[in-house]
Amino acid sequence: MTALPPVLSGAVYDRGYRPYDGPRGGRREATFALWRLSVRRALGLRRSWRQKVFPWSLLAIATVPAVVNVGVGYAARESPADFPDFSFISYREYVGVSTALLLFVALTAPDVVCPDRAQRVLPLLFSRPLTGVDYVAAKVGAIAAIVFGFGFLPQVVLFVGQTFVTRDGALDYFTDHAEALWQVPAALVVLAVYYAAIGVALASLTDRRIVGGVAILGLALVTSGIASIFVASADDGTALAVINVLALPLAVRDLIFLGHVSDDSGLSGVSGGGVLAVTAYLVVLLSAVALLLHRYREVDL
Amino acid sequence: MQPTVPPPPAPPTGPILRAADLTMTYPGGTTALDDFTVDVPPGSVGLVGANGAGKTTLFRLMLGLMEPSAGALEVTGRPVASDPVGIRSHLGYMPEHDCLPLDQTAADIVATFGELAGLPARAARQRASDMLDLVGLDEARFRPVGGFSTGMRQRTKLAQALVADPQLVLLDEPTAGLDPLGREDMLELVGRLAGFGISAILATHLLDDVQRVCQHVVMIDRGRLVLAGPIDKLMQTTGLMRVEVGGRPAAGRALADALAARDIVAALVDEHTVEVNTSLHGDAAFDAVRDVTADLGLRLYALSTRHRSLDDVFMQEARR
Repeated sequence: MTALPPVLSGAVYDRGYRPYDGPRGGRREATFALWRLSVRRALGLRRSWRQKVFPWSLLAIATVPAVVNVGVGYAARESPADFPDFSFISYREYVGVSTALLLFVALTAPDVVCPDRAQRVLPLLFSRPLTGVDYVAAKVGAIAAIVFGFGFLPQVVLFVGQTFVTRDGALDYFTDHAEALWQVPAALVVLAVYYAAIGVALASLTDRRIVGGVAILGLALVTSGIASIFVASADDGTALAVINVLALPLAVRDLIFLGHVSDDSGLSGVSGGGVLAVTAYLVVLLSAVALLLHRYREVDL
Repeated sequence: MQPTVPPPPAPPTGPILRAADLTMTYPGGTTALDDFTVDVPPGSVGLVGANGAGKTTLFRLMLGLMEPSAGALEVTGRPVASDPVGIRSHLGYMPEHDCLPLDQTAADIVATFGELAGLPARAARQRASDMLDLVGLDEARFRPVGGFSTGMRQRTKLAQALVADPQLVLLDEPTAGLDPLGREDMLELVGRLAGFGISAILATHLLDDVQRVCQHVVMIDRGRLVLAGPIDKLMQTTGLMRVEVGGRPAAGRALADALAARDIVAALVDEHTVEVNTSLHGDAAFDAVRDVTADLGLRLYALSTRHRSLDDVFMQEARR
């Protein structure tokens, strides 16, 4: 006869409510949490694979020039006569490639701000220890951080790769290009903060993501189109090139790398072109921030 | 080994809300609160008023989202004016309207709002799990809120309001849009909050909800305080005694006249029924009815005390 197993004793507990007596942060922690959540959302983390495809594909594409440059440099270093000093992209030019990240901004900036207004999440957010300034800082900071990261990582690949494949020796390459260690981050900060502020500001004007994205790309296309007409009709550059809001951070980039506006800029040849570019850059950036602070100065419950 | 559950925190003893001459006039000239003065003790409190009475404005002021035009406001013992942002660390808020990101799971949403209240990420996720368990959404926590019913969304909103263990939660129409079963569940949850050491202010125009789960009520009309106090006391002080008598024609009128001769205010309802206001006379009214009925030789068919509902109290006070 089979013996029955011993009776198991069990208990069901009503855990009820447990108070929280751990650490508790304030505004700074709340702002950082909102920044982190916004970064996560923009990168598609903890979201479906569809939301991940675009940002990570863009990062991969942005890295292609660096990989190609380093790869060809490695393959050609044994035949210096055929490929003398091979380098098809400079660090300054690579920052220009990062303007393609405006596409990323056009897609993700509306995604991190429009649903908050459309789904009326803002009252809930502002019932936490957050102000409008904190909200703007977190959202712009999140987009800017990703744009910076996506612009910086390929540059790191390029720099490290070139250091190891150069024929002149790693140390010589490093010392010859040491300036890039501050120029690249500085230029990318200029670009990232600018695109993020404009992108989030335009997206804050609408509840609909698609409208926000179209507005960002539309601003870039329209202003660059108008500016190119003025530049084409001028013999030696024109101050009206500042209308191209997309290109303003590139003019500032030139100042960082070259100390003057480059020859391929519409401002080239304009007296005080550098000062004009910086002024226009700051005016656009501060206008975008002012618009954002106005949009989130208060919220209805 | 049985899990040890820490004892609930001692409830705060001072008022959770103190308003003194609080006035809020919007730039357009609309006065939403007008010389509003009240002390609200801890516990579950009903904030009652019609649409536009000033309930939402009071919530906005309590959350430090705007500055009053005049007067002073303290919430959980802290002056709101001295730290309008920091005060929110001690409060939970549940809006009336839909306010949840529909593409996120309940667990993510509640944890997110825990982090935004200042909790570390790990603690926020743990408490989100606990709160969703508490409100009965433990099995649905990993589903997107977009697929939730109204009742489940309301419970998610309550969970996010509780996740940071606030001293006070502001609940704006928590039973709005719920079916009878969902309403029962929500009221049961709200009624349990005081036992957790969490005070709640329940803004509603459904007086029945307040009567069921609140110990105190604050009535507000067009920005002015109508009435505030413990609900049981309000009900007691507005009690009516209904007396049905017979034994002869117009027995009710005879009873009313005899009571009037003893300075007891009684209203004739019909030929055999009289209503005596016990709030004015207390136990003396009961003695007088007994004595007069016996003296006149009337037959006492029924005697019942009728308490007014909060609706009666509100209507009476608002008309003054």
